[in-house]
Amino acid sequence: MKFVANVDFSGGQLRPLNNSDVDSIVKLYQHQTLAGQSVSASREHAERMISLSVQMAATQRGLMWAIECDGEIQGMLSLYDWQPSSLKTLMRLDVLPGFEPSLQVAALSSAVDFLANKYHLRNFSFQCLPNKDELLINVLEQVGFTQQARLRDYRRISQTEYSDILLYNRILESVVAGEEK
Amino acid sequence: MNWNLKTDHYYIRFAHENDIDCLYKLLSNKSVVKSIPKNPMVVEAQAMDLARRMVMQFEAKEAAFWLVEEKDTGKIIARISLQKFNWVNASAQLQLEVFADYKTQAILAELIYAVATLAFEDLSLHRLEWFVMTNDSHTADLVSSLGFTRDGVFNSYFEFENSWIDYQVFSLLHTDAVWQQAIINDGLAKS
Repeated sequence: MKFVANVDFSGGQLRPLNNSDVDSIVKLYQHQTLAGQSVSASREHAERMISLSVQMAATQRGLMWAIECDGEIQGMLSLYDWQPSSLKTLMRLDVLPGFEPSLQVAALSSAVDFLANKYHLRNFSFQCLPNKDELLINVLEQVGFTQQARLRDYRRISQTEYSDILLYNRILESVVAGEEK
Repeated sequence: MNWNLKTDHYYIRFAHENDIDCLYKLLSNKSVVKSIPKNPMVVEAQAMDLARRMVMQFEAKEAAFWLVEEKDTGKIIARISLQKFNWVNASAQLQLEVFADYKTQAILAELIYAVATLAFEDLSLHRLEWFVMTNDSHTADLVSSLGFTRDGVFNSYFEFENSWIDYQVFSLLHTDAVWQQAIINDGLAKS
């Protein structure tokens, strides 16, 4: 059974991860410019991620898409903390350096439209690191996200150090208790 | 580690089976729960169920709940909790349900200082969060007066009675000057 749909966008498509993506995921996660990534990304971790992506989607806790352009993976767009009852989710966008921002905007816009129509999600958020995620923030703002909070020392980055988190949010017009959109 | 705390005027202690009635009286009071928000309890069985859940969540290390007993009268005046423990990021969310007459800065300062001391010193947490509904300016003013910093808002956090609830999020860090001063003063600002 297929739990993650393919979503086309202008210039590429979002598609489910599969076992042939291991090398691409390792490559993606070896770029330290991206939050939470490590130089020691391994095949084992990538394989586990692919397997978990199916379980997450099957139980509507999360979802992972590969962003593919011209047959090459350029990044991943993921949902975490998907709460169907509150119609909201936390998202994450990881891309290879040099991946065209306009294509990132197109991919994210298409994903939001798809998730709103298919799953009725209306509240989308991203957590960004100050001074490190300018490119991502630029993409988010083009898709209609705005900064709602700066969460002080929200994420631990070492045993004794913490980083603020910028919370970006986009909320679509409401559907409450059966009201029409 | 001793989870039962006491301040000058209150015992901040874990609930026991004789507290069901008190818990029900507290949480069936509309003014106590409206700022969470949630519906007031309507039967005592709900308090019994809640007491069980409080124990289960504590055993799972997800949350800790205390009842606040006034030393002079023995009256339960509040329930205070640390919820959503995040042991990786060393944070937790503070929640307070208190009778309106007791919702003053002086009383809150006494209670929050005791619980925050446990959180920062015994549990080694770094960040405490307090969610306040955006339309609840009274609570927001109290939380600010205690030294919490407003970080921003969580919009449409959840749906309650056909409305989306927006929260302001306030935080207190172990490293905040206001907390370091509270340690020196042995208390948060009471006025």
